[in-house]
Amino acid sequence: MMINRRQMLAGAGALTAAAGLGMPVVKAQAKPRVVVIGGGPGGATAAKYIAKDSQGAIDVVLVEPKETFVTCFHSNLYLGGFKKFDQITHRYDKLSSAYGVRHVRQWANAIDRDKREVVLGDGSRIGYDRLVVSPGIDLRYDSVPGWGKEHEETMPHAWLAGPQTQLLRKQLDGVKDGGVIVMIAPPNPYRCPPGPYERVSMMAHQLKSTGRTKSKIIVLDPKEAFSKQGLFQQGWERHYPGMVEWLGPKIHDGIKSVDPKTMTVTTGFETYKNCAMVNVIPAQRAGKIAIDAGLANASGFCPIKPESMASTLDPNIYVLGDASIAGDMPKSGFSANSQAKVAAMMIRGDLVKARTFPARYANTCWSLIAPDDTVKVGGRYEPKPDKITASETFVSKTDESADYRKQVQAENMGWYDGIIADMFS
Amino acid sequence: MRALVRAFRGRIRPSAALALLVLCGPVQASSDAAASPKGDAAFGEYLSGTCVTCHQVSGKATGGIPPIVAWPEDQFIAVMNSYRSKDRENQVMRTIAAQLNDEEIAALAAYFGGLILQPDTKK
Repeated sequence: MMINRRQMLAGAGALTAAAGLGMPVVKAQAKPRVVVIGGGPGGATAAKYIAKDSQGAIDVVLVEPKETFVTCFHSNLYLGGFKKFDQITHRYDKLSSAYGVRHVRQWANAIDRDKREVVLGDGSRIGYDRLVVSPGIDLRYDSVPGWGKEHEETMPHAWLAGPQTQLLRKQLDGVKDGGVIVMIAPPNPYRCPPGPYERVSMMAHQLKSTGRTKSKIIVLDPKEAFSKQGLFQQGWERHYPGMVEWLGPKIHDGIKSVDPKTMTVTTGFETYKNCAMVNVIPAQRAGKIAIDAGLANASGFCPIKPESMASTLDPNIYVLGDASIAGDMPKSGFSANSQAKVAAMMIRGDLVKARTFPARYANTCWSLIAPDDTVKVGGRYEPKPDKITASETFVSKTDESADYRKQVQAENMGWYDGIIADMFS
Repeated sequence: MRALVRAFRGRIRPSAALALLVLCGPVQASSDAAASPKGDAAFGEYLSGTCVTCHQVSGKATGGIPPIVAWPEDQFIAVMNSYRSKDRENQVMRTIAAQLNDEEIAALAAYFGGLILQPDTKK
């Protein structure tokens, strides 16, 4: 169906086309529409909260091609054998049945900002009064020399959860005792700062628990330091002695090339040949649709207003989650969920004069190092004129007791169920 | 319902009673001084956005995240105050509570206190 707001406003023939969607002719009398692109922690949460809290006063459309959502968070727990794949896979059904969100199962191909329309995969258009853009990240396939999209089946990234996650697990299961696994970690900024290192832990756990303790995981990192570094490195020493080696750029002197045919990784310092497995986590940027729509700046991510998550480049658009430049907040599912609630409130305030309050944001990231040994980092954040700014942060300590770490793991599992309920139930 | 809520609480938060004992004195005093204003539940609903990323609004509890629905408001306030004053242990809750003033804690207590523990919340 073709919807063209300008034509409708002009009273042209588009009226007929619009009738099926109950479209307004005169905007002031209309039921406003919010279109949400992307059904992850940002988009699904925003769609649910706008629909739930506006109680039918706002028409909410979620544009998301997939029937189910596989969470990136806890995908490492699948890798480590702590969760089954169906336990990290969730349906969108309830957003429609309980809250009236219309789920359009198509790709959003483009945003026509002048006309305030989203162009869908089948070429049809859907108009919006406010647009929420929450596409997550795109991988920069040109960021690791020798590696590209055509090699992701050989050297998986598994940084977009789904079949890649299952592939990585399958490859891990095939590593023989003594095999060398190389992980190429991503440069900042990227989705889930502790994620690569939790993944290393979970891979090491799988190897250890299946008697493959002569295997080794080499982490080639373009960064000098990483999230929860002391905690992870202590955990690797404690649980997986001799199995994990982390090398910063001063040591490896840069990743010069990878060769998927020979499973070789060449750095300025050493060449790793015949690797049993290579996990390439490349550099990242905002989802393509956000970049194509001109919502990103030179960094490849989208600047937002700290008080609302509205794009600084288009007042009718809000950008959430990994695609946004959220100041001190890390790119995490928890952050996206938190940002979505602020945006949902501001959009309702804007469109239906709902009560609004000053923005507040929060985040916590839990990381499982070994069974019942979990650490966390988190904080609360508030809008300042230049950016979303941390007002208080915390991180686990290296001297915590085993009992305490076990409690933190229970918290981690409970949080997962909580955020899933918050997004989808 | 109340009995069920109390049973739930008793099982999951054994130290809550202690927190209440320790803190209900000053809480009561400050409430009296402020002429016992009831929390603004609508404000609490907004603030609850942070809470419900972990604590399920249905009252269902899994893993190490306890239910916080349908508590007596004074107890909710006492427990939050114990995190804010760093008496009670939990880094996440201390950080969350630190940003909340009395009015905001009362608003949250009013909002969550007014929710009903849903019947299908047991796993």
